[in-house]
Amino acid sequence: MELIAQVVLNGILLGGLYACMAMGFSIVWGVMNLINLAYGSMIMLGAYVTWLLATQLGLSPLVSWPFAGLALFVFAYFLQRLLINRLVRISIFMTLIFTFGLNMVLINVNLLAFSADVRSLPQTFGSATFSFFGLTLPVGRGVVFMMALGMTLALHVLLNHSRVGNAIKATSFDPLAARLSGIDIQRTYAITFAIGGAIAGITGALIATTYSFSPVSGEIYTMKSFVVVILGGLGSVPGAIAGGMLLGIVENLASLFLDSGYRDAVGFGLLLLVLIVRRQGLLGKRFFAEVKM
Amino acid sequence: MNWASPTVRTLVLAAALVAVLAVLPQFLSLYWLRIATGALMLAVVAQGINLMAGMLGYPAFGNVVFFGIGAYGTTISMASHGQSLAVGLLAGALAAAVLALLMGPLLLRLRGHYFAIATLGLNEATSAVVANLTGLTGGGTGMSLPLAQGDAAAIAHASYFRFVLLFAASLAVVVALRDSRFGLACRAIRANEEAAASAGVDALRVKTATWIMSAAMTAVAGGLYARWVGFIEPTLVFDMSISVKAFVMFLLGGAGTVFGPFVGAALIETITTLAWSHLLKVHLLVLGAAIMFVVLVLPNGLQAFVLDRLRLMRLWRREAS
Repeated sequence: MELIAQVVLNGILLGGLYACMAMGFSIVWGVMNLINLAYGSMIMLGAYVTWLLATQLGLSPLVSWPFAGLALFVFAYFLQRLLINRLVRISIFMTLIFTFGLNMVLINVNLLAFSADVRSLPQTFGSATFSFFGLTLPVGRGVVFMMALGMTLALHVLLNHSRVGNAIKATSFDPLAARLSGIDIQRTYAITFAIGGAIAGITGALIATTYSFSPVSGEIYTMKSFVVVILGGLGSVPGAIAGGMLLGIVENLASLFLDSGYRDAVGFGLLLLVLIVRRQGLLGKRFFAEVKM
Repeated sequence: MNWASPTVRTLVLAAALVAVLAVLPQFLSLYWLRIATGALMLAVVAQGINLMAGMLGYPAFGNVVFFGIGAYGTTISMASHGQSLAVGLLAGALAAAVLALLMGPLLLRLRGHYFAIATLGLNEATSAVVANLTGLTGGGTGMSLPLAQGDAAAIAHASYFRFVLLFAASLAVVVALRDSRFGLACRAIRANEEAAASAGVDALRVKTATWIMSAAMTAVAGGLYARWVGFIEPTLVFDMSISVKAFVMFLLGGAGTVFGPFVGAALIETITTLAWSHLLKVHLLVLGAAIMFVVLVLPNGLQAFVLDRLRLMRLWRREAS
């Protein structure tokens, strides 16, 4: 029983990270109707920025995460302005293929710049743990969990209580009406994509604090973002949190009760099940991209 | 026979193409023969995607799942049960068809991105299950096929000609579908599914049947791949980049056309090969950039691009005279 509780706790901790990660993916998909298959590689870029700052300047990831976010914000903004902007209105086949190509380019760039070696940072909190009710909570993961949750909530506030957020939501619902009320659609798309990029960068920084990574480990994060977004519902912040935690818990339970090799299969099985039974996700409303199916 | 009918004209063109492919090995080194074999294999996978995405408008992004099923079906029949290649291919195709039959009614209710992701999830889940059924599939360590007897050149040629035959069959299927009542139903669904349904098209049945054909075609390509390389493992045959490459080929050649996937496959495989042999360190970058270029510059495919340019030139000449 205690073992199960511990596994569930680990799942929840992991789920916080998944929630944060999935929001960046979800907002771009929801607003621009664009699935970014290079998202995981953008997360890896964030992880490498953090790694560079840590190894070159000795900055702790707890200090350097805003830089990772900012770097990816700028990168994503110009990527959208210069290239992806041309694709927003064409068929979804095209954007899928385009971002797959982009993913290959980014993986290759990371390979050239950082080699194929698996990197990891010294653990900020060492192996410090915090115990309660017989459960063990690694402090490092707890901090990452709190930061990820804080980021997710900050995004929620930004979307719902700011001018930019209103512009993004209006554009998502009806681009034409948004334009008629004076919203610059191209700029809103660029900012949306840049926010998605910033979240990828920050997620990368958080991943770098606790996990090891290499140029090709981005793909698994793209896949997990998919699963969380489908589970929780597109564009929904509470959905992302619920979906992230559900995935984290289910994955950890699957490793416990089945073979650890089934870890990913269970996530995708869950994804298929939700798509078949309830396409708008567990907490999703007919919101964001649901409108433009 | 009506020589002016589009069916006959396309079939004549297809026969000519297959004839050229049949004499091609005379002029190729073994190295380029291998590239040509790979290109034909991907052309067949691209035809499978052409059926779903081109004719029906359903982006079967994870269609590689059938490639993997076909490869494993063939390998298990041949290696574990001592069956012939023909029986193996049949078993693989059957397994893929059954999967499409079971999943079709569930997943083909989804559209657009959701369908694309569902097929992607199906591929990842199937791949993980195959990797964990250690008793049947050997798990992550993979499976080997019995070695083919004979000299290397003869084996390479045999593999190539098997793919030529399969490619010819896939062309025939696409042409037959395009010009039949069934193809008309497919195109009606692509244009407007609700309207098609209200006009009496049993949409779910047509979609599932198309997916089954696409699955069987892709599975035979997977089976021939297993026979060709002699060793398979889950990450090799359930590799999403097979699907994506095929998708790019299908788009580059022109969606919904009969010969498009072949033209795309020939071009992409040539680019990939040149990138591999000359620019090993940046070959992913070159291929990725080529993909991005295709989407940005040729969003309607090469065929439409060339036809547009020709029409422009004709107009321009008429203006000049």
